[in-house]
Amino acid sequence: MDSNIIIDLKNVNFYYGQTRALSNISMTFRKNKVTALIGPSGCGKSTLLRLLNRMNDLIDGTRVEGEILYEDQNIYAPDVDPVEIRRKIGMVFQKPNPFPKTIYNNISYGPKLTGVPVDDMNALVEQSLKQAVLWDEVKDILNQSAMNLSGGQQQRLCIARALAMKPDILLMDEPTSALDPISTAKIEELIEELKKDYTIIIVTHNMQQAARISDETAFFYLGNLVEYNKTEKIFTKPDVKQTEDYITGRFG
Amino acid sequence: MNGKALRSNTMRWRYFKQYVFFTLVRGSAALITLALGGLIFYIVYHGISAISWEFITQPPTHAMTKGGIMPAIIGTIYLTFGAIAVGLPLGIASAIYLTEYAKQGRIVRFLKVGINCLAGVPSVVFGLFGLGFFVIFLGFGSSILAGSLTLGFLILPTIIGASEEALKAVPQTFREASLSLGVSKWQTTYRIVLPNALPGILTGSILGIGRAAGETAPIMFTAAAYFTAKLPGSVFDEVMALPYHIYVLATAGTNIEATRPIQFGTVLVLVAVVLGIDLIAIVIRGYMRRNKRW
Repeated sequence: MDSNIIIDLKNVNFYYGQTRALSNISMTFRKNKVTALIGPSGCGKSTLLRLLNRMNDLIDGTRVEGEILYEDQNIYAPDVDPVEIRRKIGMVFQKPNPFPKTIYNNISYGPKLTGVPVDDMNALVEQSLKQAVLWDEVKDILNQSAMNLSGGQQQRLCIARALAMKPDILLMDEPTSALDPISTAKIEELIEELKKDYTIIIVTHNMQQAARISDETAFFYLGNLVEYNKTEKIFTKPDVKQTEDYITGRFG
Repeated sequence: MNGKALRSNTMRWRYFKQYVFFTLVRGSAALITLALGGLIFYIVYHGISAISWEFITQPPTHAMTKGGIMPAIIGTIYLTFGAIAVGLPLGIASAIYLTEYAKQGRIVRFLKVGINCLAGVPSVVFGLFGLGFFVIFLGFGSSILAGSLTLGFLILPTIIGASEEALKAVPQTFREASLSLGVSKWQTTYRIVLPNALPGILTGSILGIGRAAGETAPIMFTAAAYFTAKLPGSVFDEVMALPYHIYVLATAGTNIEATRPIQFGTVLVLVAVVLGIDLIAIVIRGYMRRNKRW
């Protein structure tokens, strides 16, 4: 296998009860790249994202067919513990969701509970917050509640919280849709910075955002992967008419 | 009649209806407040004369027509905390199972119906169950242990119901955030869900505390002594209890009329004890609620 490939989906189908939400998806995600998943609401892009760290397990009555290989291991194999998968594949959600704890404890929560040996928790907290470009803003208020932060700061805290687990992959589910333009710009800069060390897969409704920050873009429609290519190619000369219609705003 | 007059007539009619309904609603609120205020006033008015240092620190004397009610106060406090110690962990554990772990479906629905039925069972039935099971079958005798267990089961449905609501009120996003970090389900429940639900759980439990402290029927066969001047030495001892003491004085005492002030005094102390235990719960809840905002 190409060593640049970190996730490999093979003929993946996904069902909510009787409804098929994803049809026969085969695609690969490349290491240290930003991949954007775009498409109209209900096209299955968020469902696909949540498949990658088994968050869909939490919903009763869902079913997965096919294989999702992460470093050559099928993460849906019966002997795989989803908890282990989630340690390696972190997630940032649409709405900032810090815990009602102090800023410090938000960061230290994951490493502490998952038994990752940490020599110096203070250093890990500082490093994670610096990676998320939040350190300078919060270094004097680490013992205050995270709920006092602004929405944009909370979202960067959530990114820092995910980074503290030292994951390989960071999944982001419309991470800026609840934020103002300035906070959005900060998160986008951050993503640019993070891709040196992490593989980032991001769902976004914002075409410009996908064009700005991603290396590769996948367009989904009605549970199908319509087109998957270099972002530049998708946004200048898409192969499929549907893709062009969507990114030029003719539907969606 | 022109249109304007018609309109103003309809408006007048609508204002009149509004007035009637507002008056009804205000009247209901006033009535409830008055009833509660009247009850408290009546108890205080008749009971305050019996209250003295001796009354709350001495055991009864002269065939319970004189002296104090100290053993009953202590007994009620023991039984109430005993009931909480039984009911709260069991109730919270059941609620966690029902909301966090059980697959929502027919079995859970069936269990919930069962719990609701349990809430409607008359307290004397709990008393007889406690007598049959704890006192006789398990051989605890009439004791603090048997009484606490019986009262604990009595308040279980209240605590389960309140805990379920409180657990459901914790945002799903907290669970997702924790699980997405690779934290296990149990740790998520224990570290995130439960702490955020505890203030709500305590609110519901306060209702249970009041019930545990005030019930007579469940303890009369399982824990309460007609009269004992000595304080319990272990959980296997019988105790006097305020509600049962009131019942005894008012129905079976040696001189019912002469002990009227003592009866009211005991009622007043019971209300005060319940209020005191509730206050402890409220203070703990207030402490937990700091920093809890979402």
